[in-house]
Amino acid sequence: MAIVEPRTTERAPEPQRHWLVEWLTTTDHKRIGILYLGNSFAFFFVAGLFALLMRTELAAPGRQLVTTNGYNQLFTLHGTLMIFLFILPVLVGFGNYLIPLQIGALDMAFPRINALSFWLLPVGGLTILSGLLARGGAAAAGWTSYAPVSEQGGAGQDLWIVGLVVVGTASILSGVNFIVTILRLRAPGMTMTRLPVFVWSMLATSLLMVLATPVLTAGLLMLFADRRLGAFFFNPTHGGDVLLWQHVFWFFGHPEVYMLILGAWGVVSEILPVFSGRPLFGYPGVILAFVLITALSFSVWAHHMFVTGQVEYPFFSATTELISIPTGVLFFNWLATLWRGRLRFEPPMLFALGFIALFLIGGVDGVWMASPSMDFAIHDTYWVVAHIHYVLFGGTVFGVMAASYYWFPKITGRLLSRKLGQWHFWLMFLGFNLTFFPMHELGLRGMPRRVADYLPDAGWSFLNQLATAGSFLIAVSLLVFLVNVVLTLRRPPDAPPDPWEGNTLEWATTSPPPVHNFDRLPEVRSNRPVRDGREQEVAR
Amino acid sequence: MAACRRSRIGLAVLAAAALAGCAKQGATVQGQEIHDLYVLIIILALPVFIGVEGVLLWCIVRYRQRRTSDGQPVSQRAGGPRSLAVFFAIPTVIVTFFFLYGERTLADVQRPEPNPAVELRIDGFQWQWTVYYLNEGFFVTGKTLTKEPVFELPVGAPVHVRLEARDVVHEFYVPDFLFMRNALPGRPNEFSFTPTRIGTFRGQCAEFCGLHHDQMRFVLKVVSQADYVAWVDQARKAAQHVDCNPSGPLKLVSKDNSWNTGCLAVAAGSPFSVSVSNLDPGIEHNFAIYPKAGAKRPLFQGPRFAGVAEKTFELRPLPKGRYYFQCDVHGPAMSGALVVK
Repeated sequence: MAIVEPRTTERAPEPQRHWLVEWLTTTDHKRIGILYLGNSFAFFFVAGLFALLMRTELAAPGRQLVTTNGYNQLFTLHGTLMIFLFILPVLVGFGNYLIPLQIGALDMAFPRINALSFWLLPVGGLTILSGLLARGGAAAAGWTSYAPVSEQGGAGQDLWIVGLVVVGTASILSGVNFIVTILRLRAPGMTMTRLPVFVWSMLATSLLMVLATPVLTAGLLMLFADRRLGAFFFNPTHGGDVLLWQHVFWFFGHPEVYMLILGAWGVVSEILPVFSGRPLFGYPGVILAFVLITALSFSVWAHHMFVTGQVEYPFFSATTELISIPTGVLFFNWLATLWRGRLRFEPPMLFALGFIALFLIGGVDGVWMASPSMDFAIHDTYWVVAHIHYVLFGGTVFGVMAASYYWFPKITGRLLSRKLGQWHFWLMFLGFNLTFFPMHELGLRGMPRRVADYLPDAGWSFLNQLATAGSFLIAVSLLVFLVNVVLTLRRPPDAPPDPWEGNTLEWATTSPPPVHNFDRLPEVRSNRPVRDGREQEVAR
Repeated sequence: MAACRRSRIGLAVLAAAALAGCAKQGATVQGQEIHDLYVLIIILALPVFIGVEGVLLWCIVRYRQRRTSDGQPVSQRAGGPRSLAVFFAIPTVIVTFFFLYGERTLADVQRPEPNPAVELRIDGFQWQWTVYYLNEGFFVTGKTLTKEPVFELPVGAPVHVRLEARDVVHEFYVPDFLFMRNALPGRPNEFSFTPTRIGTFRGQCAEFCGLHHDQMRFVLKVVSQADYVAWVDQARKAAQHVDCNPSGPLKLVSKDNSWNTGCLAVAAGSPFSVSVSNLDPGIEHNFAIYPKAGAKRPLFQGPRFAGVAEKTFELRPLPKGRYYFQCDVHGPAMSGALVVK
């Protein structure tokens, strides 16, 4: 049954509304995308500031800056905000802006749900942060909030639970929206096998969001019931089970890791072909890898729990090592894309190449942890901190930066400065490695994660100082980025529709695109329709 | 050309050796096996790492855009099923080999010791450890923020550990053993190890367990058999030597999960009262009296209550002798002698 809205042939002109009202009530996917990006980067800077405070505290043994309780809140909030309010939302933000453009649609399938799922994010994020005002401070049980530690804590922990339920709801809603948009609103000719890789990666991400996030929500509600309603799901003194929380959390948590990286893989797989003048090597293989990883990601969760001594080792170590196979395939395809290309080192390409170099380290150092007995030596040490940051910072954040430089002209109509972009890249690349590479060695020397302090004779001081110096270098690089954005936004918009010689449909419209996205939609006959158009023009 | 290749291989071997040096040698039989696995993974991973980064750098240098290459068409080959099969095959081979070797090491590390020379029960609590010597009949305990437990083990003798937690999840971790294992409330873990090197090893809790997680350190000394026997003797004697005299009403105060005293004294044959003051916000304690440490049935067991609060208990007279009191939540870490004179 179709619902047809009655239309009047002549519409009264829209009343001019205040710009703030426009932005607060918008259902345009592009504006919502921009809101997502702005909100995500705001949380990125807050959570980054928390990281700087932690690094400053750890620069030397003893108390420098914050109390133990303060430190515990800092790492809890840093992890929570980075994962739930920066990395996932920033990818969803790019998805929001680009998916309708890349598939040649007018908007998302459910524009109002789209607006709702955005506005839930700042509400959830601020709820979590408001814990700082509660007695005893914000949540301080880590972003994984293992029970029963998470059953102690004060109101800050409750605010953390409520905030995450809200944020989780947002991601379930946007997952549904993406899936329907991608499956139902593609332009004529845009078959699934011509879908841009970024859209494929967001389709996989959305599946994970819809299937895994409800598990987290259920776990959070159980935790809340334990804390406030007298339940005993995770409390062993009354017959509950402490491992139940870990199973529930990681059954969500590992698909979550792939939610955080798939989008960045998509971005890099878009950018490498454009700046090497080649097609993406092995497009079907890349899609196959995405699909395999999405499916397998639900079978590896207990590799986070090897040290509990109470999981089925052969199964979980086998599935974990299995999932590294499609990941390896991605690397081969990326390298083969560069091979015999003509590489242009514009800032998006620099970050995409940096992504490959660093994500590889995150992949390789993860191999150690996939083997349970090796994991006994390094799990819960700084080795894991190094690993997660090589994956999520060296991987996703470099991918996000590549995406920012790549699509900034499309979104704002202005190209970011190339020179400042190069400074940003090199400072961040250097700072990142200086911060996180020494953490491998810190882990091997036995420094556990999540400690506010360490002994002067532990032999960890120098490596910690390196890491702290590196973190400030990262901060400087991000200031360069911020300056670049601010300076560029003050210039008049002058970017052409297709500044990079792109492949996908977003480059077929103006920068920025009109409200209805396309004045004229080019024909889609391959997965590089805009390049096809350029070739035809040359042939003519 | 050959010399160049040889020097390149030499370089890779050197790099592998340098990386292997980063990891500690295991101070136990099991830890050494894990160290060997670490080295094996380096041997497998280093060529992958160097290969991928090398090709990446090669592409960046060789295929960068140059003036001279402008105008020439760029290859548009995008691979087919054959390259896809190769791309899947390479990691599959590496992973299979790695999995099988890892399983072997795991079996060795997990194997329980049939005839342990020392049997320990180790309890984690917020925020310290208690180590019970099950066959020797004494324990060593740390006190939150005030005392790190120091305990000894004989070199070359297999040790069996039963690991538990009293409140939240903790983790027993000795970096030099290349080993960590969760201490889970309600789900005991068991493992064995055999120390191979005399020395003093630091350990600490590795699973975040609340406020003073970073202060949950302990010291494990691996000593010669003779030194170990002497230490056990001395520890046993010290456990029996606590004494004090009656002086007014009994007042117990718990702060940072530690009692204010390890010895209470009352006069025989008269009823007495104990006031228990719990200054630990949100944490439960109680007060219980046993005939001796390790006894199952208490002579008196007060209710658990969370701080900050105070309760006073009226007790019946006790015959002359030495008794043992503790907080049942935290066990020997919050215990002492009750002397009735």
